[in-house]
Amino acid sequence: MSTKGASLKGLLLVTLLVSHMLLTKEGVTSLPICPKGSVNCQLSLEELFDRAVKLSHYIHFLSSEMFNEFDERYAQGRGFIAKAVNSCHTATLTTPEDKEQAQQIHHEDLLNLILGVLRSWNDPLIHLASEVQRIKEAPETILWKAVEIEEQNKRLLEGMEKIVGRVHSGEVENDIYTPWDGLPSLQLADEDSRLFAFYNLLHCLRRDSHKIDNYLKVLKCRLIHANNC
Amino acid sequence: DILQWPQISKCRSPEMETFSCFWTAGNFYNLTVPRILQLLYKKSNEEDWKECPDYITSGQNSCYFNASYTSVWTPYCVQLASKNEVYDKKCFSVDEIVLPDPPVHLNWTLLNTSQTGIHGDIQVRWDPPPTADVRKGWITLEYELQYKEVNETKWKELKPRLSTMVPLYSLKTARDYEIRIRSRQRTSEKFGEFSEILYVSFSQIGIGCDHCTEEVEFPWFLVVVFGVCGLAVTVISIMLSKQRRLKMLIFPPVPVPKIKGIDPDLLKKGKLDELNSILACHDNYKTQLYSDDLWVEFIELDIEDPEEKNRASDTDRLLSEDHLKSPSCLGTKDDDSGRASCCEPDIPETDFSASDTCDATSDSDRFKKATEKEEDLLCLERQDNDESLPNLASTDPQRWQQNTQSGNNNVWAPFEDSAESSHLSVHTQISNQNSLTNTDFYAQVSDITPAGRVVLSPGQKSKLERAQREGCAEQNFTMDNTYFCEADVKKCIAVTSHEENEPHVQEQGYNEDGYFTTESLTTTVANLGASTAAPPSSEMPVADYTSIHIVQSPQGLVLNATALPVPDKEFNASCGYVSTDQLNKIMP
Repeated sequence: MSTKGASLKGLLLVTLLVSHMLLTKEGVTSLPICPKGSVNCQLSLEELFDRAVKLSHYIHFLSSEMFNEFDERYAQGRGFIAKAVNSCHTATLTTPEDKEQAQQIHHEDLLNLILGVLRSWNDPLIHLASEVQRIKEAPETILWKAVEIEEQNKRLLEGMEKIVGRVHSGEVENDIYTPWDGLPSLQLADEDSRLFAFYNLLHCLRRDSHKIDNYLKVLKCRLIHANNC
Repeated sequence: DILQWPQISKCRSPEMETFSCFWTAGNFYNLTVPRILQLLYKKSNEEDWKECPDYITSGQNSCYFNASYTSVWTPYCVQLASKNEVYDKKCFSVDEIVLPDPPVHLNWTLLNTSQTGIHGDIQVRWDPPPTADVRKGWITLEYELQYKEVNETKWKELKPRLSTMVPLYSLKTARDYEIRIRSRQRTSEKFGEFSEILYVSFSQIGIGCDHCTEEVEFPWFLVVVFGVCGLAVTVISIMLSKQRRLKMLIFPPVPVPKIKGIDPDLLKKGKLDELNSILACHDNYKTQLYSDDLWVEFIELDIEDPEEKNRASDTDRLLSEDHLKSPSCLGTKDDDSGRASCCEPDIPETDFSASDTCDATSDSDRFKKATEKEEDLLCLERQDNDESLPNLASTDPQRWQQNTQSGNNNVWAPFEDSAESSHLSVHTQISNQNSLTNTDFYAQVSDITPAGRVVLSPGQKSKLERAQREGCAEQNFTMDNTYFCEADVKKCIAVTSHEENEPHVQEQGYNEDGYFTTESLTTTVANLGASTAAPPSSEMPVADYTSIHIVQSPQGLVLNATALPVPDKEFNASCGYVSTDQLNKIMP
């Protein structure tokens, strides 16, 4: 009987796993990593860029979905869009706004900018993950997405630092960074104001993740494929 | 008529470098002139509304913002207004309104066709929209292909993919197909417009099979339905069938716990007395019986009894005759555990170490016959004894009980009562034995009788047993060519071997007709012979246990022998007689 129960559990587990895989639209496929214990394992720049692009795409995908879910759930009928000022805290960083500018900027500067944006989002993401749980009846999907984004952002930051270390000839600039002071707004007592603060933050997150995704793709095509993706 | 206000219908950027906004004028007659409607826009970080830079490029009721006016991630707001009124307003950022143009240059090539020529595979290729700068990575596009047969209405969709080519498998060559593709930015949800339709016609390239018969589709539905029904019928018929074997084969019964001999109903009824007696019959609950008479010395292995398995275990019989009395015990038919050893004429009652070559004769009888040297008679009688034993085995245990209790005297009963007397004598022997030695619950097997009975030797030597040594030596065997009865041989050898108390007895399988097989005799004699080689005065400690090597059915045990020299098997396969020559070889 114990084996029968164990086999039933195993079958249930497999079913759950398969259904989860089918239900999640996109997932990050794991790339082959350096074998453990290898000291001088060096991934090629192409590999690094590949991974970075995959991560940035995933982060943007999650942010986009999270924003849409939040919008659907909380923003309807509140007129957030009309009120949206859309001033993100990273607006102070001068990033390329169109293709021309993106093509003209030096790749090292662009890399530094990307790093700056990623660092600037480190703090807000941590607080987002914790504060979003206090929203009344927050859907589970939003909750785990917030946590996931925060994790993946860290990984992307590490990867970018590696790339910058490879690509940079000179010293790595560490000063591109925007602090975030939006935490009080996420903790407002008034529910409407609080939800608007979340809406803003998620909107900014979606935009910035799209920026980073785009910049990385441009860099990858420029550096790795010589503008012939 | 419903009054329709002018509305901004959509704003769209095809490549994330420019964007356009479109509106509807509504049915305000006064405002049908496009110029009166203005589209004002404002970037988020600006204060003033500016007018649309280009009303023409995108067509009527549109505003086109070229690359210089476009900042991708900057929020814009546009509003549709006339001089005084604002009719509509929209706020967005350019990255949110990306809807790529359709792909261009669709074409297809044939990959292969099936053997019958009915189906074929094709590869469809296209180019990304020319406006989208995919090469520099500024925009990443996904494509979705749809196809259908020409006279169908519903399009089949393929999963969106990044590559600009896709194979289509198993298209019918007799039919024509239509293909269309649309694209979207990778992280968006909305697709752009469809491309132009691509027509696929196999007949154009000469492959089409006009007069091919339609392939009959496999009737999956029917197969499944009939399969399920058949299976259900089979299962039901098996469950209901009376054929137990088939049923057990397919639906094996779940074993329930069961104790042999115990009826679960007894447990349910709560008849503890009966239960106790049943349990008592089975081995293990006899601690109080240690002090009783232990008929430990001889174990009766009665082959002729086909119910051997159902009898109470040997330990039952060993432990006490009390339990043999119990009626609920499964039949213990053979009580002849007290077969006397016939080897020792002097002290017939106390010699238990010698092999029990005689089955039912008392010691006295044997002694008489031995001295009379009627070997043949002895063996014949022995044979008779063997045969008569089963009869004795079936005697009423009660009677046996009475006999044993009636007297401890040595009763030299006539032959036909030899069984009883042997019982008596054995009883006395054992009781004497008890007085001399500590009886153990386990005893070592020292030899095996021709009847297949196992002779046990007690764990410790008794002083009386030492007296047995002389007995055999005095006997003289006539050294002529007559065969010796193996019994006599064994007597002597067994006596001398008892001194060393070699525990190693090679037992053989039980011999049907009661005689030793030559092999068995060989080995036993060999063992004994080996033991006689050792100095008689040595007293080796006796091992109380001998490990069992093989269990041959219920009648035989093969014990582990320890490095005993086994002589060549020279004996004739006769009834078991030993020739003088052979004997000489064995005897030292």
